[in-house]
Amino acid sequence: MKIQKKVRDFISENTSFIFTAPAVLWQILFLYVPLLLVVYTSLQRFSGAKFFDLTLSHYAALINTAYFYIIARSAFIAACVTFFCLICAYPVAYFLALRVNPRWKNSLLFLLTLPFWTNFLIQIYSWVFVLDQNGLVNTVLLKAGIIQEPLHLLNNIYAIFLVMIYYYLPFMMMPLYSILEKVQHDVLEASMDLGATHWQTFRRITVPLSMSGVKTGIFLVFVPAFGEFAIPSIIGGGQQMFVGSLVSHYFLVARDDQLGAAFTIISGLVLLTCALLFNWLCKVPLQEEQKEVAS
Amino acid sequence: MKSFSSYVMPILVAAFYLFLYIPIFVLVVFSFNNNAYTHSWVGFTTSWYTDLFASTEVWYALKNSLVIASASVVLSLTLGSTLIFFGSRSVVRRLLLVFYGSLAMPEIVLAVGLLSLFSFFSISLGTITLIVGHTLLGLGYVIPILYGRFVELDVNLIEASYDLGATQRQTFFNIVLPLLAPALVAAGLLVFIISLDDFIISFFCAGASVQTLPLYIFAVIRTGASPMINALSTVMLIVSSFLVLLFSFVQVKKIRGHK
Repeated sequence: MKIQKKVRDFISENTSFIFTAPAVLWQILFLYVPLLLVVYTSLQRFSGAKFFDLTLSHYAALINTAYFYIIARSAFIAACVTFFCLICAYPVAYFLALRVNPRWKNSLLFLLTLPFWTNFLIQIYSWVFVLDQNGLVNTVLLKAGIIQEPLHLLNNIYAIFLVMIYYYLPFMMMPLYSILEKVQHDVLEASMDLGATHWQTFRRITVPLSMSGVKTGIFLVFVPAFGEFAIPSIIGGGQQMFVGSLVSHYFLVARDDQLGAAFTIISGLVLLTCALLFNWLCKVPLQEEQKEVAS
Repeated sequence: MKSFSSYVMPILVAAFYLFLYIPIFVLVVFSFNNNAYTHSWVGFTTSWYTDLFASTEVWYALKNSLVIASASVVLSLTLGSTLIFFGSRSVVRRLLLVFYGSLAMPEIVLAVGLLSLFSFFSISLGTITLIVGHTLLGLGYVIPILYGRFVELDVNLIEASYDLGATQRQTFFNIVLPLLAPALVAAGLLVFIISLDDFIISFFCAGASVQTLPLYIFAVIRTGASPMINALSTVMLIVSSFLVLLFSFVQVKKIRGHK
């Protein structure tokens, strides 16, 4: 009886702690501890080695231009995908948020979100039917007499690039739309009343107001695109190695956890550097503009 | 500029929607194609749909996916809502950063980490490890959504509940949970869909014993797909569009009800 009372007292005295701890523990145990374990694995000499038998040899093995190219290729394609997504999504988000006839707005938004809720492998796979030798593009071009031989559109980097843009467009679209939706018509009208042209209003009012959405969109696309591995393996035929494909190769096929962990850490650090650099680049023009306004 | 926005913009937007829907349209059309081997049109058939509903593998994978998704929803909503309610606001605000961690890295890093954890402690991969991974993924969405809604709640309602003699537990179940209901539904649906759709964490943490729907689809696509996958995609497309419609309908109704 005494113990029960003690337990009850303990619970009532520490309710806040007892009920907040599980979620935090979950996050620590399954996110942060694993990350430390990856660091540890990358230093381990081999699987099952003694606990303190540590080495930097796996990192040394990664100092090789081949690995450098893989990381650079992933970063480059992720940057290009992000850029094209931004260019394609911005006008559409702008149109849907500020210009469209309200009667059409909800149906257009519904059509926009639908592919986003579709299984992601299915979205990727559907492109096989478009780009295949007997696919839609080749059939149309052959029938129109533009080409005589079917083109090889699959299994190359352009196909990967195109499908990645397709898949990541909604990730750019959502933050852009939600920030542009908040831009008030009064502000735009005020700008026009004061004699600005449409283009000036867009350039000086709409774009600066939407910058935070642009930034979110860039992060939402670039980070997962950098680690992408399903698209290269389905559309690219697994011919070109990307960060994601190499990581999964080490862990699931080659079973070389140590080298895989070291490669994951290095790629992660490259990604972190890219993110910090981008953040810094965003701040510089902002500060200059503020100075301009102040003077 | 006037002419630009009134003519060029709609054309651009139409092209954008065409780009979005052409692959899906082709995929659906070819689910009726009477040819298992090439991607050229031969004739109309519904036999892939018959195959689909007769396939035991698909239903087994779907069952696994649904079990994992439901468990992840329940777990992440429970963990999330207790954290939001019982933690003091200043603490929770600072803790938010801890939960953004899983959103800020590529999913493959989470997957590698989880795999290392499970192999370090020699935990065998299976349904449980998938639930753990998907709950982790879900918490990253649940906590910001619930916190955003909880901060908007009228504090007076909670204080009134205490003043009238309710215990903390009564207040949680009778006052806070009903008020959080829309956010709980939205967050739950999001986690459910993310879990059903998840490929990367599942690919690393499923092991050989469990097959989820995305893993099944991936395996079939890799080994030369049959049009049954198109039929499956079409069915999934119809189900998800129905769900999205239902969801937006419920929300619209709720907003009208408030007015």
